[in-house]
Amino acid sequence: MPPKRMTANPVRPARYRPGKPTAAESESSGDESSDEDAEGAGQEPVVPLPPKAASFPSDSTRIANNLKKVDLNERREQAAAREAARVEAQAAERAKEEEGFVTEESEDESQEEDESGSESEEETSDEEEEPKKVLLRPTFIKKDKRAAIATKAVAAGKLEEEKRMEEEERRKAAADEIVEEQLRRDAAARAAGKKFWDDDEGEDADAVDDTDGLDPETERALWKLRELKRVKRERETIEQAEKEREEVERRRNLSKEEREEEDREFMARQREEKESRGKAGYLQKYYHKGAFFQDDQKEMGLDKRDIMGSRYQDEVANRELLPQYMQVRDMTRLGKKGRTKYKDLKGEDTGKWGEYDDRGQRRGDDRKGFGGMRDERFMPDYERDRERRAERTGANASEVRERKRVEGAPEGPRSMRDGGGNGRDRDDKTDSYRPGGPDRERRDPREDDNRHTSRDYRGRDMEYHREYSPRRRSRSRHDHRYRDRHGDDRDRRKRSNSPYGDRDDRDKRRKVDAK
Amino acid sequence: MTHRADAKYMVDERGYEGELIRGQNPALLIEKPVRERIFDSYYWKEQCFGLNAATLCDRAVEMTFIGGTYGQGKPTPFLCLAFKLLQLKPERDIVMEYLNNEDFKYLRALAAFYVRLTFDPADIYKTLEPFLSDYRKLRRRTKTGFALTYMDQFIDDLLMKDRVCATSLWKMPSRQQLEDLELLDERISPIGDEIDEIYADEVAEPRSEDSEEESESGDEVIENAGRAGDADDAAEDAREDQNGSVRD
Repeated sequence: MPPKRMTANPVRPARYRPGKPTAAESESSGDESSDEDAEGAGQEPVVPLPPKAASFPSDSTRIANNLKKVDLNERREQAAAREAARVEAQAAERAKEEEGFVTEESEDESQEEDESGSESEEETSDEEEEPKKVLLRPTFIKKDKRAAIATKAVAAGKLEEEKRMEEEERRKAAADEIVEEQLRRDAAARAAGKKFWDDDEGEDADAVDDTDGLDPETERALWKLRELKRVKRERETIEQAEKEREEVERRRNLSKEEREEEDREFMARQREEKESRGKAGYLQKYYHKGAFFQDDQKEMGLDKRDIMGSRYQDEVANRELLPQYMQVRDMTRLGKKGRTKYKDLKGEDTGKWGEYDDRGQRRGDDRKGFGGMRDERFMPDYERDRERRAERTGANASEVRERKRVEGAPEGPRSMRDGGGNGRDRDDKTDSYRPGGPDRERRDPREDDNRHTSRDYRGRDMEYHREYSPRRRSRSRHDHRYRDRHGDDRDRRKRSNSPYGDRDDRDKRRKVDAK
Repeated sequence: MTHRADAKYMVDERGYEGELIRGQNPALLIEKPVRERIFDSYYWKEQCFGLNAATLCDRAVEMTFIGGTYGQGKPTPFLCLAFKLLQLKPERDIVMEYLNNEDFKYLRALAAFYVRLTFDPADIYKTLEPFLSDYRKLRRRTKTGFALTYMDQFIDDLLMKDRVCATSLWKMPSRQQLEDLELLDERISPIGDEIDEIYADEVAEPRSEDSEEESESGDEVIENAGRAGDADDAAEDAREDQNGSVRD
């Protein structure tokens, strides 16, 4: 059910607005509806109840609250008593006055009304905290009826008094009980010896029993055992010291040569131990047993342990069978971001480290030189000879056709080699560095538009090309496709400009027909 | 001496003018982190305030375990009271009184701890060694729980180990060294007679059946002592073996 006020803000007493009914009066009218309300704004909207959780300080507040309530009751009781007394007294007075003064009824009535009005005001002021009763408008009551009402009021007051007394007694009893309980608990805790700073002792302490005299003989026997052990330990230390002293004496007495001999023996034994440990397998992780905690290891009997040769269940026996990617010393790094491709030092070596035995053989077998370097990573990939071409591996293995030679293009440095290239018709060109050469004349009859511009552009060059006119025809057969409007650049370049024009040429690989 | 609420004044570098132990402020015998824990603990703040040598006994008799720190570094009452002793620096007589009392074993353990921290090496050995024959049980609080130990074991630890009860005991010369320096006499164990017999036989006859029997019986003596048998009877049996009768 949604809250009555549609808000989560706490209930606050309404502000005083003159002429409007105060919250108390309106509350009493809405009592029934508020009972149904789940939240129930409460009959005491001003004072919220103290929290019910039982922690140590709240006991005192609860007791204090109880005490407070008791006081209120008394006050209320007193107030009620006062009221009753006043009512009685006034009733008596009225009775007296009325008997005397019949003619001044109106005055008396007004006085009574005033008095009753003042009474009602006092009532309201006293009963602020109680559930507000519906206050009746002061009405005139006839003489004979007044007395009846007065006595009824007194009787009602008495009943209320009794009820209140009973309640008060009950509450007192409850408060006493609470206090008693608390005291009892404290006493019990103190008796149990549990100090409140020691919150975690619990039953563990009882598990270890330290009462003496449970079994004197056993205890004495155990003590004897311990004592013997101590004595034994002492004797052993003494013996150790003695032995060391003896050893030192002995060595001093030996001559120098004997000392050296002993040292050599010792070192030989050490070396043997080292070697007998066995080589670590290919790419095995190195394990050093550490320089500290030697004593602890000795206690556990682990000081001679060597786990270099061992491997765990998942590990591969022969790492060389794995693919190269997985041949790492530390398998935990596989697939991780920071992984290096480092395997071992020998793999990184590009020199002749560790190859001293093969030196003699290599000398006669000097293919491709570079000081006998045969590391694949550093070999050139251009192979001139047909035989060497067969050695090309991987992506280099497919056949590649001859380089496309363009007539006007400058040749690279390699063309100068081997006597200026092979299979190349070089008679035509006398000067390879002259761009364009005989090609210029060929273009003239074909296209006039560019001719002018090109001519203007290279007006100078036209003169040179008169001489080459007899070659015109020999050239006209070649490579018509490559001549176009873009001028000499096309001729000079070895690669074509257009993206679509020469599809065939794009693939360098010679197309081998699959049969 | 003035008792102040915050015990940090004790370790204030500027103002210490009391008696020096081991050449320094005795509060520095306990390490700084442990010291801080003691100062911050409730036991210290509530129970150890304004104690003197007499009222300390009241606290000490309420002790139910020894130990250093437990859990996440919480100090035991034992450690707090030991620190209080360091602060009070009681006289030697009082300490001996604590030690020699027969009724309260934890008080004795506390005094032994104090002796180990503050006395001179020869004095330590001389004072503590008689208590190696006290085999009463003690409850020791470890980091995770409780353990059973004995008074003689505790004193042996004090004499031999480097670190007891969350304190690094300052290094003492070994008994051997002190004997060499003529400051101490050799220790005679309370069961010395029996041991002498065992060892004498082993040394005297190196390779004979009797000695083997002897050594076996020596072991048996030890084992019987470990079992529920009566130790005196075992000793008597050992003597009988000496005389040549065969044991089953």
